[in-house]
Amino acid sequence: MQKKSWKFGTREVVYAAIGAALYAVLSLATNWIQLPSAGNVSFRPAIVIPMFFGVVFGPIVGFIAGFLGNIISDLIAGYGFWFWWDLGNGVIGLVPGLIAVWMTTYNSFKDIVWGEVFSTIGVLVGMGIASISEMWVSGADMSTVIFANYLPAVIPDLINGLILLPILMIAYAAIVKRSGR
Amino acid sequence: MRPGFRPYFEMLVTWRYRLRNGLMEKFDPRARWIFSLAFLFAVTLFWDARFLAFFFIIAFVWYFSSRAKWKETRRGWYLIGFILFMMIVINTIITGGGAGGVVPPGGHLVWPQGGTIPLVGWQFHFGLTWERLWFAICQLLRIGAISAIFLIIPYTMDPRVYGVTFRGLGLPDRFAYSMELAFRYVPTLARDFGTTLDAQRARGYEIERVKGGIIKQIVRIAPLIVPVTMNSILTGEDVTNAMDLRCFGTRPRTWLQKLTFHWQDYALIAFSIILLVGGIIMLYAFHLGNFWVPEFWLKLAGG
Repeated sequence: MQKKSWKFGTREVVYAAIGAALYAVLSLATNWIQLPSAGNVSFRPAIVIPMFFGVVFGPIVGFIAGFLGNIISDLIAGYGFWFWWDLGNGVIGLVPGLIAVWMTTYNSFKDIVWGEVFSTIGVLVGMGIASISEMWVSGADMSTVIFANYLPAVIPDLINGLILLPILMIAYAAIVKRSGR
Repeated sequence: MRPGFRPYFEMLVTWRYRLRNGLMEKFDPRARWIFSLAFLFAVTLFWDARFLAFFFIIAFVWYFSSRAKWKETRRGWYLIGFILFMMIVINTIITGGGAGGVVPPGGHLVWPQGGTIPLVGWQFHFGLTWERLWFAICQLLRIGAISAIFLIIPYTMDPRVYGVTFRGLGLPDRFAYSMELAFRYVPTLARDFGTTLDAQRARGYEIERVKGGIIKQIVRIAPLIVPVTMNSILTGEDVTNAMDLRCFGTRPRTWLQKLTFHWQDYALIAFSIILLVGGIIMLYAFHLGNFWVPEFWLKLAGG
């Protein structure tokens, strides 16, 4: 069956929901990991979920997994509703989703490299949107946005995403091969 | 076990919402979202402390109408406190950043003569101005007001109505259903995560080990993330098949909860429109609401 990038059928509805719930649960469960010597920056390995769901199921699923997952995670943690950060997380899933149609085996060197490249772009753009919106909301200047918002969000997201994404892709390739999906 | 992990994990499936019979809960969730978003766009039009104080009062009247207790919401306020500290103390006051181009250059220095560090006798010049200090107060009012409006949402809105609420606000049926499904999946996936964690521990997996660099710590999390993710993907196939067999998506969906607007909802929506449209008119037609420093404040500076 030919893949369609922007399709949003039953399968996508279900996987978007699973991705969002998974991102929320894993974000909360791994919130206790802190960056060494930067106690205030929470490390979030779960950021790989919107990237992975984007790469496998397309941009809409990736976007909903990141956007809705961040909303649910904040709702459960009691942090309120921060639309621009939710949107940024959505973009982190959307951008890798743009290459979902070109993915073939998920464990080939080419697939993994493309997944990593687009995930990196997703993080840079997504966190850029979220951070810049702080200029509008909080009146912060560019240097604050870069050093207080952008870099502390981008660096851990990139480290987590780039390490965990290939692991998940290889595991998914095994499932695809075994189940013939 | 590393402190902080178990309590956090145990509350994974605990939603913050509970019925408090507050005034806020008398409003339809759609009207509340419209109010919250209109408030956000209206308050971000202004940097004048008089206007911001007005919004700040509205925000906290709204916040207290929820009847949520400090004990319940303090976690969120600590986070907001940290953000405010970074934004206001570090940027606006200490580093003296550009304050988003809102505060005009120059101004009245708080310490025009500079200062001397005791013992070493070094001279320093601190570029903090009275205008920038006033801007910090404005930031406090603005971010505080926005936080009060949005922080209270999870404590006062039933998670079961998010799907139907956003459908009612015009979101596509499938997206709203995805939202509904995601909220229902959270407890299931949290339980799966707990089972996986216990199973891996039984095999000698030590998540709490803090030895090794950050990369080792991330790789160590893989035996938890991979099985939970793959298991949920396999479950998803069954759910998709079940939904397809029930002809999901062939016609508009009906919802278990039915939302109906009442007079108070129309009143809240009308107030939201007045707030936003009034704000736009004030700013663009009458040029009111830009950054302004009161006379008495400048007198403190001796200016």
